[in-house]
Amino acid sequence: MGEEWLVPEDLLYDRNNYWVKVIGNEAVIGLTHYGQSTTGDVIYLELPPVGTMVRRGEGFGSIESGKWVGKLIPPVTGEVTEINSRAATNPGEVNRAPYTTGWLMKVRLRDPSELESLMPPEAYREWIREQERLELEEGVTP
Amino acid sequence: MELYNLGGVSWWESQALYHALAYLGREGLILCYPTTPYVCLGLHDDLEQEIEQEYCRMRGIPLMRRETGGGVVYLDSYQVFFQLVLHKDNPLLPLRRDRFYRRFLQPALRLYRHFGVPAELKAPADIVADGRKCSGNASGDIGECVAYVGNILIDFDFRTMSRVLRVPGTAFRQRLQIAMREHMTVLADWLDDLPGYSELTAVLIEEFSGEFGELSPRLPDTELLERASRIGARLASSDWLSLPGRRLPYRRVKIAEGIYLMERRFGREGHLLAVVREGRIADLEVIGRSELNKGLRKAYIGCEWREDLLAEIPVNI
Repeated sequence: MGEEWLVPEDLLYDRNNYWVKVIGNEAVIGLTHYGQSTTGDVIYLELPPVGTMVRRGEGFGSIESGKWVGKLIPPVTGEVTEINSRAATNPGEVNRAPYTTGWLMKVRLRDPSELESLMPPEAYREWIREQERLELEEGVTP
Repeated sequence: MELYNLGGVSWWESQALYHALAYLGREGLILCYPTTPYVCLGLHDDLEQEIEQEYCRMRGIPLMRRETGGGVVYLDSYQVFFQLVLHKDNPLLPLRRDRFYRRFLQPALRLYRHFGVPAELKAPADIVADGRKCSGNASGDIGECVAYVGNILIDFDFRTMSRVLRVPGTAFRQRLQIAMREHMTVLADWLDDLPGYSELTAVLIEEFSGEFGELSPRLPDTELLERASRIGARLASSDWLSLPGRRLPYRRVKIAEGIYLMERRFGREGHLLAVVREGRIADLEVIGRSELNKGLRKAYIGCEWREDLLAEIPVNI
């Protein structure tokens, strides 16, 4: 507890620790500073091809860190318009610079109203504090 | 929690059953061993890069790709598997997945100590004794569950392991065998009278019960077996095995947590072999131009490892 997690003011966040930056009808998606920390050192990243339709909350691609493998979980629904090939080649970028060179992909938003369910920065900071408190006090997540 | 203490199972069942539990959304602990040897790739291992396929074909060693992380492993009946499947929302699971290894590996850790082996946890997921790895472990999200899998090494066929891996040449293979023997240990190194499967699993069951609560023994039911059969066929299919995976510009084999054997080629026959331990070059060997050995070793041993370091070593001096 007590680590200062970077939570930029111009982004939206979800409970799977992804950030969203809205630019027109597109959204840039990445893992948050806190999210990459809970994932651990990323050693492999498989991103969906451009043109893939990803759906909010439904796993896509794959991420491997240390000795764990899981899915990436998009915070919004949309068609993939660009992936970060630099991060795919150098997955450590996700840990080193989660908000800049470590972004994951861009999607064309299918349902902009989904953005309303994402958290603004202060709510996300509070959510991190709650997660850390729970884990520290109980050793578990809710 | 349900306990499936299965004893000897077919090679494919030793992977497919825990996948089936996970895809069915059923929690449980499986204890088993494969009656015949096979090679298992991690989800993101690249078949072409990692495996000497012709050797495996000649020896009749089947291949499979699991849906958990970690690297290529050679598995046989001298290993006992413990495979725990939990729902993703199980409150036992911490947010940081690697933290769960501490709890998952306690039963295995205590098993080694029960038999007098001074085992310790090496984060995130190795058990070591006398600084040497003695248990391989991995995890992954499968369906709506998470699977944590590990093994107890009663003995290990280092020679076959070094043969099933695709490596740049004989020197690399020999160095690999030496490195594995230096950095891995098995129960057979510590005990004159090796415990059998029943003795090992009796300790595991007691320790898993203490860690995770009462275990209810049961046999695999039709639903589980049918699902496992389909999953087993998929995990061993050529399409699945050939999925593109992690590729590196140089050959690297992980020996244990934090310990790697790396290779860089130069010229027509030259190789640099480097053992990297905890981020630093622990050993360096030049194959093909032995006159380079002394100077390079002196200059680079102890250096911090970087991805581009092998490329910059002045092999043409």
